[in-house]
Amino acid sequence: MAVKRTAKLVAIGVIVAGALVAESKKELRFTVGPKAGVSVMNPYGSIWVRPSTNNTVVVNAVLHSDKVEVDNNQNGNRVDIQSHLLAGADSDTGRVDYEVLIPADASITLHSSTGSLRAEKLHGDVTLEGPGAEVNVRDVSDAHVHVKTMNGPVNLENIQNGHVEVDSLSGEITLKQVNGPLVQVVSTSGRINYIGDFGNSGEYRLSSHSGDIEATIPEWTSADVSARSTRGEVHDDIPLQPKTHTWFPMDKGRAFAGTMGRVAVSSTVVLRSFSGKIHLRKRSEKQ
Amino acid sequence: MNCVELQQSLAEVEDASTWQQRAHLRTCPACAALVRELDQIVAAAAELQGADEPSPRVWNSIEIALRKEGLIRPQSRRSPLSSFGLRWGRAGWLLPALALLLLTVGLYLRQQFYPAGLPQEASFSRQDSISQPRVAVANSGGLEDEDLMQEVAANAPSMRPQYEENLRRVNESIRDLQSAADESPNDQEARRALMDAYQQKSMLFDMAMEQSLP
Repeated sequence: MAVKRTAKLVAIGVIVAGALVAESKKELRFTVGPKAGVSVMNPYGSIWVRPSTNNTVVVNAVLHSDKVEVDNNQNGNRVDIQSHLLAGADSDTGRVDYEVLIPADASITLHSSTGSLRAEKLHGDVTLEGPGAEVNVRDVSDAHVHVKTMNGPVNLENIQNGHVEVDSLSGEITLKQVNGPLVQVVSTSGRINYIGDFGNSGEYRLSSHSGDIEATIPEWTSADVSARSTRGEVHDDIPLQPKTHTWFPMDKGRAFAGTMGRVAVSSTVVLRSFSGKIHLRKRSEKQ
Repeated sequence: MNCVELQQSLAEVEDASTWQQRAHLRTCPACAALVRELDQIVAAAAELQGADEPSPRVWNSIEIALRKEGLIRPQSRRSPLSSFGLRWGRAGWLLPALALLLLTVGLYLRQQFYPAGLPQEASFSRQDSISQPRVAVANSGGLEDEDLMQEVAANAPSMRPQYEENLRRVNESIRDLQSAADESPNDQEARRALMDAYQQKSMLFDMAMEQSLP
């Protein structure tokens, strides 16, 4: 019995020690000028980007095995980081988790197939791509935010004066307090949630072929709204000043269009689905 | 000019030579990359017309472009694109050809969706609206999809079910939207939605191709 227990402990010890030996950390530092460009290409693993306090790019990488290495290249004001998979690497052994600090005005491009992509407190352009990546972007202002995913969920929060474009096939997309001159979301079957006030004088276009679209807005929102679902239902909890003329048929229960609030500062809001349900909801005091 | 306007303007001025286009491209890396890719596809397409199978020069030029973009690195063995071409033999050109076809259909629909003026829009005939997209849907739903799935299975087997499901959904959406566009040829929204669906499918192919790169 004691022998068996000892063997178990030894086996566990070997596994833990093996994992610790295989896992390694790497830190890289680069000095850059204003409006630098940083890209991180990581087939497997997460990337988290935050602002640094000065003009340096700091990359902290945790490599999960010796079957992957981190390549880097600085060309002037541009820094490229890439996980380089070696022979025999797979999604576990090829995994690298990055924490990257960049000047807040730098532009970033992140790519990961499966890990989470996270960017926050920046005001440079943000481009995030990954088929299965979970994308989280928050506290970004005066920047382009471009996201492309296949089925990973996308969460954008507190994006001010952004030029936002999200393309996703089936992941759920949530936009909270996102505004700017252009906010465009295209999905094949993903659900789209918008919670905010549609800003001032922007163009907001949310479309999902078969996913539901729900926009929750305060009553004082100023917007020119049109919603249409070819085969789904539309619901409107907020009284709109109906439009006298629209170029698409206003089939009851399938479409509505109208204005709310002050026309002079209203945004254009287009909600479109083929078979999904569209719901324009009034925000309650608690939300 | 914003990203959407830039992409719309490419239907009129494809070489992005207007000052508005150039100004936007200077500040938007995503659009600049898009224009570069379009240029490369146009250059590669000219080569594809010359033979049933592209010459090694086409693969090389694509490889060089990808290397410049930092998407692949030099290797001592043969390039992944060459190996992809070799693995698929004479059918190896189908994938880039399909991507090109999707792009062409997208550009066609873009042009139809953003006509030069209302009179042109009014004269848009039902025959015009349905002929080309119908061919494209038939092509895009066939063997090429299966080829792509095999490529995903070889390079990212764990993600194959997800790709399969998303491909099925996007094909379904294209069929739905094609029917809607056929029923209402003057419905701009239907044509725009169809264009979006093709772009979603194109994006799926892009992602699958990236999975196959080192």
